[in-house]
Amino acid sequence: MTYIDPAIVKLTEVSKRYTVENLALYKISLEVKKGEFVFLTGPSGSGKSTLLKLLFCAERPTEGDIRVDGMDLSTLSPSQVPTLRRKVGVIFQDFKLLDQYTVFDNVALSLEVLGLKKSQVEKRVRDIITNVGLIGKIDRKAIQLSGGEQQRVAIARAVVNRPPIILADEPTGNLDRDRTMEVMELMEELNARGTTIIFATHDEKLFEHTHRRVLRLDNGRLIR
Amino acid sequence: MIAGIIYKRAIADLKQNFTTQVMTTLVVTLSMLLLTFFAMFSFNFRHFVEELGSKLGIVVYLKKDVPQEAIPSLYKRISALRGIEAVNYTSSEDAFRKLESYLDREKQVLEGVDANFLPPSFEIQINRAVFNIDRIREVAAELSRWKEVSKVQYGEEWIDRLEVFSGITEKAVVGAGLLLLITAAFVVTNTIKLTTYAKQEELEILRLVGATNGFIAGPFLVEAMFQGLAGSLLATGIVFATYNYLQSLMSQHPLFKQVSLVFLPMPYLLTIIGGSILVCVAGTAVSMRRFLRL
Repeated sequence: MTYIDPAIVKLTEVSKRYTVENLALYKISLEVKKGEFVFLTGPSGSGKSTLLKLLFCAERPTEGDIRVDGMDLSTLSPSQVPTLRRKVGVIFQDFKLLDQYTVFDNVALSLEVLGLKKSQVEKRVRDIITNVGLIGKIDRKAIQLSGGEQQRVAIARAVVNRPPIILADEPTGNLDRDRTMEVMELMEELNARGTTIIFATHDEKLFEHTHRRVLRLDNGRLIR
Repeated sequence: MIAGIIYKRAIADLKQNFTTQVMTTLVVTLSMLLLTFFAMFSFNFRHFVEELGSKLGIVVYLKKDVPQEAIPSLYKRISALRGIEAVNYTSSEDAFRKLESYLDREKQVLEGVDANFLPPSFEIQINRAVFNIDRIREVAAELSRWKEVSKVQYGEEWIDRLEVFSGITEKAVVGAGLLLLITAAFVVTNTIKLTTYAKQEELEILRLVGATNGFIAGPFLVEAMFQGLAGSLLATGIVFATYNYLQSLMSQHPLFKQVSLVFLPMPYLLTIIGGSILVCVAGTAVSMRRFLRL
């Protein structure tokens, strides 16, 4: 009988040290199950972003093992990193869009790197832009959109290639209350379709009335 | 499909950074232009030396005691040597007559001189198809060993001097060519570095969405190939136009009737074009390395 690991993300005794004095994470062990929606919280500088960066190989751990969707990141070669990144959609507080590209072109980037046919790219990009409610602005340049709209484009880009995991690093940090709620609704929808979500935020209001699991970091240590 | 996207991205980038691309291509063109002119000069100089050598031929002076009956067999022996195109015999009397006609009004200086005082000789032309300076030397050395021969002349001093000069020119061309190629590579490397700095955000996003190094570097390499190709084609085109212009000028002037210019043969042109593309691609690959580290 084959054993199927329910954990899609697993960290074992993971530490990250930038310099002798700067210990960003210390012996973090945690598991996130497939389809789970987990909040990662803590004050600024607690290590939330570092932990997320470790999960898409923007940083490598100093110690410990990390597994993401069956891939052992401690033995991952540089040429395998693109494969990992196609499994992990990342959303940032500052959106990281190309200002001079249109909404369509920004989202299409994620599919172009996969080498999909033009017709497939066209269809999937249009579908996802419709889903995030921006089909009327598909030909606008990213710089011409509001903050909330830009974040919806960033979400569309992160999910258009249907990754099993979404990492969101303070995605509502630059948005007002209404736009924040729109983003949260989009994330809930994605999770309802089976996508695993790790949502880093220092805004406690986002999860105070939720049944979701909350992982709390403080000074690089996991405290709950 | 990936190749199509890379090509599309390269074209988009060429349009977006048109001025930078044009400037880089111009620098490549100038470097390749200088290199092609040097190569053209060197090639024509060598051609000139060879032409001159083949025209000089070999003069074999016979000993005065060689009997007249031996001349036909000597003629046959010389004609049988490899690479001989024509052999002309000049008897002592013929040589005397030639000297008289050369002296023209001053021929009275020859009054009372024995008409046989000049040695008989053979003038030999080497076949142009097998011509080379070494072959002339070999033939001359062999002839000078014959017992009937007193002296062999083939303008060796001229040929040696021109050969040395031609050798120095070739070395200078290779040296200057290398320097120019390094300059072109340096400029291309730095232009691509500036472009990649300007596009750092885009490259970062591409990496984030799972682009491979090939996907990221591909458009830059395509652009470099284009710059190398365009630069070298422009350079060889300018040199060809200059060659045609000089040819037409020289054909009108009686002074240059004996000299012919030649254009670089295809292997030279292909080497210049291939070298230009290679230098641009290598320069780009070097400058991209830093951006492709994960």
